[in-house]
Amino acid sequence: MSQDLEIGMSREDGDKAVTVMRLKGSLDANTQSELEDKAREAVSAGAEYLILDMSAVEYLGSAGMRAIHAVANLLSPEDPSMRSAYLKVFNPSPAAEKVFKTLGFDSFIDIHENIDEAIAAL
Amino acid sequence: MPLRILADLGQLKQIRSYVTQTATALGARAEVLEDLRLAVDEAAINILTHGYGGCGRIELEVAAAGKDLVVTLRDEAPAFDPTLAPPAELRLPGERDAAGGFGVYLMHSGMDEITHQPLEDGNELTMIKRDAIAGG
Repeated sequence: MSQDLEIGMSREDGDKAVTVMRLKGSLDANTQSELEDKAREAVSAGAEYLILDMSAVEYLGSAGMRAIHAVANLLSPEDPSMRSAYLKVFNPSPAAEKVFKTLGFDSFIDIHENIDEAIAAL
Repeated sequence: MPLRILADLGQLKQIRSYVTQTATALGARAEVLEDLRLAVDEAAINILTHGYGGCGRIELEVAAAGKDLVVTLRDEAPAFDPTLAPPAELRLPGERDAAGGFGVYLMHSGMDEITHQPLEDGNELTMIKRDAIAGG
């Protein structure tokens, strides 16, 4: 476990099994497996939907985007749709949002302004 | 002063910090720093994973040339030219296939010129960001 990425986890009350992952630090080639491992833990514990708080992501690289891609596939292995219904992102830092949009991931994973909006979209 | 480092992926943050600090000291505009960090990070990942297979020596230099910033990475890995990598296929991530080509795409999207020069015992990658210096 590196010191470069912290991942806080919390479950949301409600009808759906939603887990919020609060990312803080760098999501890069050195830390991508930490996001994937934590997401697998959440799914194993019953999470059906994941919401990523990316407000404190100081750096996001291509490896981080591949990790997010893997998490999306993890949540919907049978779903061939081009838009993830199970993974949402809210309040990305400017650095994270830039990479998200440069690589076109915003056409696949919705970006919301805040957690309430993200939950309402599930 | 160049950064000379025996690196693996655990040093990426240090490499990015060097880029930010050096470019800032040279007068780089704040809005170009993210492009520089991304390009160098992705280039370093290519060197470490495709060149060395994990760990190796990297020399990194950030210099001003008029209003431009010139970033140079040198390594001792077998010849590898990322500029010859196939164009990124920005397939929609909803496809099952693993996403690929994003790193090289980010390098090119953030920099104005990228050239590779094979060395006798390694590689030299030069990346230029035009008009990067504030008021230069």
